[in-house]
Amino acid sequence: MTETEFDQMLGKYADVVVKIGLNLRKGQRLLIRAILEDAPLVRKVVESAYKAGAVFVDVAYTDERLTRIRLEHADPESLTEVPNWILTRFEEYYQRMDAELAIASTDPELLSGISPDLIAKYRKAVSQKMEPLRKYENSTNWCVVATASPAWATKVFPELSQQEAQQKLWNEIFMTCRIDTADPVTAWSDHVQDLKKYRSYLNDQRFAALAYRGPGTDLTIGLPEKHLWQGAEAEFKNGITSIPNLPTEEVFTTPHKDKVEGTVTATRPLNYLGAMIEDFSLNFANGRVVSISAKKGEETLRKLIETDENAGRLGEAALVPNSSPISQRGILFYNTLFDENASCHIALGNSYRESIIGGDDMSDEEFEAQGGNKSLVHTDFMIGSNMLDIDGIKADGSRTPLMRSGEWAVEV
Amino acid sequence: MLSKEQHQELLSRYAEAIIKVGLNLRQGQRLIINNSIVRGVPPAGRTLALAVTKAAYQAGARYVEVIWGDEEMNRLRLQHAPDDSFGEYPKFHVSAIMDMVKNGDALLTISANDPDVYNGLDAARVAALQKAHLENWKDISAHISRNSINWCVVAAASPAWAAKMFPGLNSEEAMAKLWQAIFETTRATEPDPVAAWSEHIKKLRKRADYLQAKKYSALHYRSPNTDLTLGLPPGHKWISAQSLAENGVVFTANMPTEEVFTLPDRFRADGTVTATFPLSHAGSLIEDFSVTFENGRIVKVHAKRNEALLQKLVDTDEGSTRLGEVALVPASSPIAKRGHLFYNTLFDENASCHIAIGRAYRFTLIGGEELTDEEFISAGGNVSLNHVDFMIGSPELDIDGLKEDGTREPVMKQGEWVIEV
Repeated sequence: MTETEFDQMLGKYADVVVKIGLNLRKGQRLLIRAILEDAPLVRKVVESAYKAGAVFVDVAYTDERLTRIRLEHADPESLTEVPNWILTRFEEYYQRMDAELAIASTDPELLSGISPDLIAKYRKAVSQKMEPLRKYENSTNWCVVATASPAWATKVFPELSQQEAQQKLWNEIFMTCRIDTADPVTAWSDHVQDLKKYRSYLNDQRFAALAYRGPGTDLTIGLPEKHLWQGAEAEFKNGITSIPNLPTEEVFTTPHKDKVEGTVTATRPLNYLGAMIEDFSLNFANGRVVSISAKKGEETLRKLIETDENAGRLGEAALVPNSSPISQRGILFYNTLFDENASCHIALGNSYRESIIGGDDMSDEEFEAQGGNKSLVHTDFMIGSNMLDIDGIKADGSRTPLMRSGEWAVEV
Repeated sequence: MLSKEQHQELLSRYAEAIIKVGLNLRQGQRLIINNSIVRGVPPAGRTLALAVTKAAYQAGARYVEVIWGDEEMNRLRLQHAPDDSFGEYPKFHVSAIMDMVKNGDALLTISANDPDVYNGLDAARVAALQKAHLENWKDISAHISRNSINWCVVAAASPAWAAKMFPGLNSEEAMAKLWQAIFETTRATEPDPVAAWSEHIKKLRKRADYLQAKKYSALHYRSPNTDLTLGLPPGHKWISAQSLAENGVVFTANMPTEEVFTLPDRFRADGTVTATFPLSHAGSLIEDFSVTFENGRIVKVHAKRNEALLQKLVDTDEGSTRLGEVALVPASSPIAKRGHLFYNTLFDENASCHIAIGRAYRFTLIGGEELTDEEFISAGGNVSLNHVDFMIGSPELDIDGLKEDGTREPVMKQGEWVIEV
């Protein structure tokens, strides 16, 4: 790709982000959360947003290297220090129902070698400070996308030079986000229709549980009576419908927080806050993790689960066929936005309100009584493979094969 | 050209001098790093921000935060945002800094600005953006003006700035040359930068003390195209390098710094002054300009380039028609001797005698921090949203000090000090 071609693709990507990902309305403000390496895309999105009628675009840049420097050099006692404006910066935009774009291009190895204790302490303080933002969940159109940042690209393609790795990762992003098609807008609308068919099917079935079987996995996930399958499109409280993840290949709902039993083995490494957790399994009883094992990063996994009372319970179950375009790339992305769309996955921690019928309007207590999980964390990990079978189990005990050898077994 | 390792070493020494001399950061203090004009530190300031953050934690900082901004985004906004939208301003940015100020934390500004970033854009839109910024920033400016906390302004090289300074060089060479200029003028290249600074600070203080003892009632500037008399109010205070902040920390607000300065009487400026350097203001360069005063008030401006922008600056508010700072710098200052313009006030003001349109610093009037705006104004102090320095020094400039009784003493001849300290 020449520089000019790349610039054009980046412009096309920015247009897709603004029009489809955010469905930004004339007169809306837009807040962008990004790392400094995202600047080339950010600038294109800013231009595209103003051209779409945005009145103001603000970018909350962070330099993730500063986080590492802090964890390396600051007095550990001071890691609980989180200034209030970190919270008010976002609240200002959320309260007005302004649009939000998050760019997820983090260096997967950012915090490697830093003590899990310190990471957990730092992370918890930030999560606690940001907790009041949970009430704005789904109030406004938001979207998550990625750029091929240098550190991430070299992690994905370690055999290539940094420049080549970035070029290759950009190509993957453009391809999986359908930017390389003649008409990305139509391509996205077709794809969304497909995902919505599976979503409707699953919502009609009213399964009481999902049973997973694969190598190292024998897990039953109970679903709340009022569970709702979501995917592709989301409608927000400000009345705007958009596609909050680019790319997206999943349909998902929430497990019942007290009804998960058995063992699950991850099929891909998990990158948690810059530290890698690899070859790991979790055992559940009554919804809760009772034991874990990991060949690498076990301590980090333990800290994750111990973040708060419900970090050891599940908040999401998502179905993605093994033949998904992202899975077919055969690349381990070390980035949830991509890896979760290559594989069936589940998440430790918080449930999305929209995964339960009427969940947005429930009090915390009501939401939990319905089986929803409340936690400071929400961390996806991958459990799909071409050896995974999933059955849907109804209240009367009847079983329907949902996926076989990692592929959909139902016609929709 | 420096090797990567040499550059990194100088950057660390520069960062250490910023923490120890510039901010004099105290153990347990929090530090916020910002750039108010860009609405955050531009990405070009990143390597310095990282080095400073590290030095700050090593000095016992409790928390360091950088607010990032991007001039390119501001430019896109000026090009594409609706006309009536320039009042939009994120509240968090002001409250973040105000929280820190109230908490007695330290504030560092990293300048890396492209002097010409808004070149060619609509002057009315640029002025609207600038005015919204100044209005939102009013409380913070007031706190800085009274030295509520230890604060410091420093610079980092950026490709656009370097290209403007060294148009004949390729980007890499220009950046290397600008970094070298920054390291040398901030004494990062000295064997012991902290000791070199303490020496330098002492010398500047002697000049300030000399002028303070003289209690001049006015300064008279003369050069081939300047004839200007600036009154100095009773109680004016000459300041150099170091100041004492209200949070008890002795700090050095600018790196580099070569100036001694005080406030002029806002009601007593008469005559015409011709600028000797272009002025980078609001992202554009104002060039070849002169300003005429009567009774302290600007009655006429003239510029060969961007006169409209200069007029907009003067029209911002009543205080922008008057002066708030008078600073003396010899034409042989180490920065002037480099022989090139920086297009950046932090450097150019330390290469040349200068005056500032707009706000006077409260700490340049004895007891000024305690006065209300009205009291400060009646004492001769100026109050404004702006504080914009412009350069008037040259080897052709003579300055006399006028005493109350009308006697006259030379202070500078042909751009150089004539007083011995």
